[in-house]
Amino acid sequence: MSADGVDAPPDSVVRVVARLLPGPGLMVAAALIVKGYAEVGDGFAAGVVVALAIALIYVAFGAEGAESALPALRHAPKLAVGGLLLALASGFFPLALGEPPVTHRPGPGEHVTKIGALELFTPLLLDLGVFMLVVGVLTTLVHQLARPLGEGKR
Amino acid sequence: MVVVRGGPGTRGAGERHPGPGTDRLGWLACAAAVAGFLLCLLGGLAGGGAVSVPWASSLDLRLSFALDGLAVLYGLLATGVGALVFAYGTRYLTLHLEHQRRSAVERWRFWPWMALFAAAMVGLATAQDLVLVFVFFDLTAVCSYFLIGFDRSERAARTAALMALLVTVVAAVAMLVAAVLLYSVHGTFSIPELLARADSSATTTSAAVLLAVAALAKSAQVPLHFWLPRAMAAPTPVSAYLHSAAMVAAGVLVIGRVHPLLARSEPVLTGLVVVGAVSVVVGGVLALRQDVLKQLLAYSTISQYGYLVMLYGMGGAEGNGAAAFYVLAHAVAKSALFMTAGTVTMTTGEDRLSRLGGLGRRAPVLAVAAGVAAATLAALPLTIGFFKDELLYAAALRHGPVTAVVAVVAATLTFAYIGRFWLGLFLGPPRGQVGPASGLLVAPVVILAAVAVLGGLVVEPFARLASDAAGVSTGGPVTIAPGYHFDLRPENVMAVAAWVLGGLLLALPRVVDPVVRAVAAAGERWGPRRAYEATLHALDRVSAAVHDREVKDLRTSIAAVLVPAGLVVGLAFAATPTTGAYAVGVVAGADWLILPLLVLVVIATLVVARVRSRLTVALALAVVGFALAAVYALVGAPDVALVAVVVETMLTLVFVAALARMPDEGPVRDAVVRVRPRRRRRDGPAGVVAGLAVFASVWGFLSQPAPDSVSAEHVRLTPAAHGGDVVTVIVADFRGLDTLVEITVLLVAVVGVATLMRRGRLW
Repeated sequence: MSADGVDAPPDSVVRVVARLLPGPGLMVAAALIVKGYAEVGDGFAAGVVVALAIALIYVAFGAEGAESALPALRHAPKLAVGGLLLALASGFFPLALGEPPVTHRPGPGEHVTKIGALELFTPLLLDLGVFMLVVGVLTTLVHQLARPLGEGKR
Repeated sequence: MVVVRGGPGTRGAGERHPGPGTDRLGWLACAAAVAGFLLCLLGGLAGGGAVSVPWASSLDLRLSFALDGLAVLYGLLATGVGALVFAYGTRYLTLHLEHQRRSAVERWRFWPWMALFAAAMVGLATAQDLVLVFVFFDLTAVCSYFLIGFDRSERAARTAALMALLVTVVAAVAMLVAAVLLYSVHGTFSIPELLARADSSATTTSAAVLLAVAALAKSAQVPLHFWLPRAMAAPTPVSAYLHSAAMVAAGVLVIGRVHPLLARSEPVLTGLVVVGAVSVVVGGVLALRQDVLKQLLAYSTISQYGYLVMLYGMGGAEGNGAAAFYVLAHAVAKSALFMTAGTVTMTTGEDRLSRLGGLGRRAPVLAVAAGVAAATLAALPLTIGFFKDELLYAAALRHGPVTAVVAVVAATLTFAYIGRFWLGLFLGPPRGQVGPASGLLVAPVVILAAVAVLGGLVVEPFARLASDAAGVSTGGPVTIAPGYHFDLRPENVMAVAAWVLGGLLLALPRVVDPVVRAVAAAGERWGPRRAYEATLHALDRVSAAVHDREVKDLRTSIAAVLVPAGLVVGLAFAATPTTGAYAVGVVAGADWLILPLLVLVVIATLVVARVRSRLTVALALAVVGFALAAVYALVGAPDVALVAVVVETMLTLVFVAALARMPDEGPVRDAVVRVRPRRRRRDGPAGVVAGLAVFASVWGFLSQPAPDSVSAEHVRLTPAAHGGDVVTVIVADFRGLDTLVEITVLLVAVVGVATLMRRGRLW
């Protein structure tokens, strides 16, 4: 790697922020999903927000440091696949009931249980699936770019 | 199938390759074919039946099947001959794989296709819906592609598979066009309804011609016959099945199915007679001097299906009845002959007549059985073949003197080439080493020969089968009554004349040879195969030229997308009225914030175009993205703005990370890149074209927001979907299917990145 500053250790402010950011990031993401159907935001934006926090950790601590500090990151591909499956299931389960795909429950005019702004209905599953998918995909992407072939062959 | 698939897996790892003697998969296919045969037989005896369930009701498509006379005939052929060929194949394929030192697991690349082919044939025979017929028609072609190309390490097999696929599938498109044409006039795809409603209009005639083209290509008729001899690169069971009783039969089956439609127009019928007659003569003459056993049989098939097409062209009760009977007799004889050729090649290792001979003493059973099959094809008495020619002569005489002469010529050629085949193989001085022949390689031939003799003695059941089938083609009851008549009626005279003339041809190879050679040379020189190859090469060249132009460098790749898009958009704008399309609005309120942002975008874009440092380019692009996000926020699209901001941030990060991986030096300026200036001159015009097109389309779009756009409907329905935010509801509900596809693409993209960066390792 070249020595023109790319690999120089980032300054301590970045490290501190990177350490602190994931908490609020998750909160914002949760808010985006909860309020998604009523106000601005959805699972995609929430996913990118969380992925940004993770990316900042990569920037601050380097790939090695980030992945040893947060070993759960290695599950990112599974998270992505699981999210996709959840989203697809939320879209295609009506086929099993003889209805067209993406027929959400409860239907138009029916009662929806609400917990604050959170509405409990099938589009929420789609949003959660997209959230997981985006976090997983972007984390995997950052990992791929941070540790390309030479280091991956170990 | 599923049960058997589980079989090998549950066995121990040491036994993963099943022993060479047990082709369970093949026997399973054979059992399925036998079951299908019994079902067809019982169904036929019970008087048939029909099912019809909706398939795609918005397109008026139905899954409608009926077991009528035609379906019974072809269903019995496909399953009956299929069962015998499959039994033969269990042994043949094992030996074939052993000879080529291939794993027995490769049976999985053979039997599923064979079974699917048989199922598709039965489906085709019973289908009563034109689109359904098309689907099965193409399904057989796809199966044949994999079967002909089974020996995929051989170039000849691959080319042959592709040729068979292209010729039959491209021609099959004509059938789909015909279906749509008929639907547009009569509002139905159902064949019985179409036959009842169709009149002798120009539409019917064009549809009839299109259907005939598709059918003739499938039945390997001149000038679309050239794929069949090539397709002999397939293993013998494939030829014995596909190229005698199934794939080529699919074409005439379709003709038989829609015959009343074809019969609405006299020219179409005449065309069929002409094509059939030419195929009879060309196939027959070329078969006379073929040296490779299967090639001889392939040309014979072209000729024999020529008979059939000719008979359907003559039409009427006689023609259709004779055609139906002919299919039956020919399939029995030809599959037996193909299997004979395969057995001979398998036991001697030779596939040429010139290197074989005198096998009669060493393989007497095979010789007798093959002799019966050859006699059937040559229409000798005491075989079912005699009656096929009797009916042919009767129909030809009824139609006119020309067809009568053609019929005699056809029978003469058949007698000559099939006589040469049998005599060359089994009589004469012994040539070729004979290895041990497995009983399974002979028994199916014997059974088919027995059927042929049975048909020669008791013809009534076969005649009834053919009568029922012909009834469907004619649209009314048909009775054919073949039989032996010991008198000097014209049919008998013609038969004897054909035998005598055929015997003469057989005895005088010196007279025949130059003629055959001339025909073959002419075909080689001006034949349709040349046109096919030239077309394929030309397409290849065009594709390669376009590709080369596109991938020269990054600039050409971008221009290849932007310039055609710009030109197309420009054409669209030139063709649409422009009054009121380009309005200049007033600048007010938030617009005063947007304008500076847009100026920032322009400046950043210019920086991207001019600057050399990669990092600066990435950051300038980020500026463009953030400025546009701010514009979205200002014009009242907070959802889009939010996504734009977070995505832009991520994108910039990823860009910087990727750039950190690249070497320090700027773009290399070596001699090759120095040639740029000339190409650079094209950059300006390309950019102008693309930019103008985008500018015009955006301006036009902003000038007249569509009044009744779907967005108003979306806004109205959002509360019903329990939502307050239209964008989210559109993404998750109204256009949820799009979203599902798009997020799937996301995962696919990551797999792509992983493939490029880390050889497919996701983590």
